[in-house]
Amino acid sequence: MGPQMQWTMGNSLREYAGAGTDCMKALPLMSPDSNLEMLMARYQQGDFGAATSLIGRISPQLRRFFLAQSESRADADDLLQETWLRIHKVRHTYRPGEPALPWFYAIARHVRVDHYRKSIRTIVGEQKLEAMSKDASSVPGESDHVHRLEALLAPLPESQREVIEMLKVSGMSLEEVARATSSSVGSVKQKVHRAYKKLREKMGATGLAKGRSGGLS
Amino acid sequence: MKDEEIDDVLMKAAQAPDDLKPEMLQRIADSIKPSIRPVRPLPPSWLMTGELVLVCAAVSLAGAARAGFFGFEKMDLLERLLIFSVLALFAWLAGNLFVSEMIPGSLRRYSPSALLGLGSVTLLGVFAFLFRDYQIDHFVSIGIVCLFTGLLHAIPAVFLSWLLLRRGFALNPVFAGLAAGTLGGLAGVGVLELHCPNFQAAHILVWHTAVVPLSGAAGALVAWTLRFRTGLNARQRATR
Repeated sequence: MGPQMQWTMGNSLREYAGAGTDCMKALPLMSPDSNLEMLMARYQQGDFGAATSLIGRISPQLRRFFLAQSESRADADDLLQETWLRIHKVRHTYRPGEPALPWFYAIARHVRVDHYRKSIRTIVGEQKLEAMSKDASSVPGESDHVHRLEALLAPLPESQREVIEMLKVSGMSLEEVARATSSSVGSVKQKVHRAYKKLREKMGATGLAKGRSGGLS
Repeated sequence: MKDEEIDDVLMKAAQAPDDLKPEMLQRIADSIKPSIRPVRPLPPSWLMTGELVLVCAAVSLAGAARAGFFGFEKMDLLERLLIFSVLALFAWLAGNLFVSEMIPGSLRRYSPSALLGLGSVTLLGVFAFLFRDYQIDHFVSIGIVCLFTGLLHAIPAVFLSWLLLRRGFALNPVFAGLAAGTLGGLAGVGVLELHCPNFQAAHILVWHTAVVPLSGAAGALVAWTLRFRTGLNARQRATR
């Protein structure tokens, strides 16, 4: 890739996202979600600038979603690329006017499930989950990993973890989470309730609430 | 510990710096660039649902036209109104669900299995209310023919419905198959109600109603088999 292409890419990301090349720093400064729908419509019309802007905006969230599901960083990167290829292939299934974020997450979720099914890594995943669960219940401040979102959510079952990630971290509404997970709003509420109950027990037991003033900030 | 405190902990954990490199974003953009071109978005849900209901109606009418409208001619006005309005309602619900299953990020208010159960129970209720002839003549031999006829007409209804929604993307092929099978089953029941002049309660309650759950189950099974085979092929390709 030549320097000209790099400049174009960086420039388009800045133009659309109002950010530099460090997309994670730029994320909180992004414009409201309604722009995602506009960008998606332009992407469907063949606008490469809109596509790069969407990649810059959505990728950090999707990668965080994969990491929260106890994927390794390498796996999360692979899944992110696979998700974008899938998104590109089925971009015509997004209908203008509909919320775009649940559409992205629904496909990401499908790619992750597909990935597990193909590579038969369920058992390995459970072992990882168990290991992370032990990490999460260890003393706060012991390691930087404890403070990571994926470690915090590790004690939760997969279905609750993804709902919490979408709702509390990605800032989606209950209806949007229901759309992304192909379930009803009532089912999402129930999962959140159960997840909070479990988190409350875990955090209470490990004293993470006290630790948040020192350890997490 | 309060919910707000948990929110706070999660938010702070989420703000931890990530190591997503700009090169990765560049690589993704490069991978889609060669094939970037305008695409036609799918039409609105109501339009696709309407098309699916029309397909079901067309299959039912075509099937009955070939075999004869003996059942419809024998029915009184109340029977016609109640049976066909219930079939139309559930065909709309099943069509809408099938569309939702084929479009990622759609809002789903009910699950395919719930619809299948509710549809079957409602049909049982309507048939039990309308048909009071409790005689049983040639229960199995005549019943099997009706069941077979219903299922046979469900196949083209499912195939045509899938053809209409072929541009969609099923996130859960088993649920999509279940919804499509239910829709096809309702078309099959439509053929039977238009054609079959046997108004014995036991015959209709068992053999006509059975078309819906059997067709739904067959749809789910076919989708599961296809997904299993696709996964198997992908694994074989990957190991080569």
